[in-house]
Amino acid sequence: MKNNGLVSGLVLLTIGLVCGILLSVVNYFTAPIIKEVEDAIKYAALEEFYTLANYDISEVSGEGDFGTIFIFKEKGTETINAIVYTVRAQGYSDSTKVEMLIAVNSDLTVEDYKVVSQQETTGFGADIVDNDFNVSVIDDLSGFDSVSGVTKTSNAIKTCFTLVGERIASDLGGGLNE
Amino acid sequence: MNNKDNFFKGIIKENPLFVSLLGMCPSLAVTTSFENALGMTMGVFFVLVLSNLLISLIMNNKKLAEMVKPVRIPVYIVVIATLVTIVEMVMHAFTPALYFSLGVFIPLIVVNCIILGRAEAFASDNKPVASLIDGAGMALGYGLAIMSISIFREFLGKGTLTIWGDLQLNLNFVFDFLKIEPIAMFVQPVGAFLTFGLILAAITAIANNHKNKLAKEVKNNG
Repeated sequence: MKNNGLVSGLVLLTIGLVCGILLSVVNYFTAPIIKEVEDAIKYAALEEFYTLANYDISEVSGEGDFGTIFIFKEKGTETINAIVYTVRAQGYSDSTKVEMLIAVNSDLTVEDYKVVSQQETTGFGADIVDNDFNVSVIDDLSGFDSVSGVTKTSNAIKTCFTLVGERIASDLGGGLNE
Repeated sequence: MNNKDNFFKGIIKENPLFVSLLGMCPSLAVTTSFENALGMTMGVFFVLVLSNLLISLIMNNKKLAEMVKPVRIPVYIVVIATLVTIVEMVMHAFTPALYFSLGVFIPLIVVNCIILGRAEAFASDNKPVASLIDGAGMALGYGLAIMSISIFREFLGKGTLTIWGDLQLNLNFVFDFLKIEPIAMFVQPVGAFLTFGLILAAITAIANNHKNKLAKEVKNNG
């Protein structure tokens, strides 16, 4: 049989299709488990901020530097008690932004915060994960404590708080489209 | 070559990491803990064994081989990438900690020279069973190599040996006895090169010694 590019291309296409079908079958079984795993990781972090059983929690996808935004309402009510923001800002690493969860109560006090993802320089940027930045009210960063020697990363953290501070009033007033 | 020789050549004589020096980049990156090395070994084992088998099945069918030949490298890549994606999805679902720890090095198995190399150099020219055995031997050889590097690096760098998940051996008593701290450098990139270089030097020295002994024996026997 005289082979030409078309036949070889068709064989490649067929093999690609078979592989695609195989992958969709595996994905069908693993996707729900992966979603469960990711939710568990996310909610484990949220559990550190609030007792989840006391709240109805809804999620909104953020835009730009914001990831998922979690809205906490006391069970059976429509009043927003707190909002937890996933927010990112550029730190020392060019490839990966510093990502934080910032939990803000309806009276604008900061319940807690946690750096959930960062690839800053080992031994320096990593110091930020458990650091207390001295932020108790979201719209007042006058007492913000930077980590000495980690200026760029500290600035990224401050940016995260600033970004949340700029939108929190609007979000608590119903600005979030659920 | 019989099946036994075919299997063991990948472990010692043609070890992909220590003899052929293939697939070094991910090997050095994931050997910060024994658990990472074990996870990588399982991933590479699955991909290498099945890719060798599938590629050999394709290339042993005369009609199909003729059609595939002009596009064989893209075919190999499609097969390997599919298997790697399966590994990635399964690892993400069932061993998430390992998945996040190995990170980008799981998808990078697709471009691991060992896998594409065995597909082109062995599986495309040999029978399916022989290719499967070759894949198993090579993957095991690769696994043993990265696991040995990881044992040194984790022990010297952290004083521990993480077998799997929470199962961890605390070997800090060695450092306490010596009244020194673990040497953190060994879990950093420089430690990877240093450990790899030292193991390679030891293997080369043993191999040369063995060769010299054989040469001497041949000379003495006339």
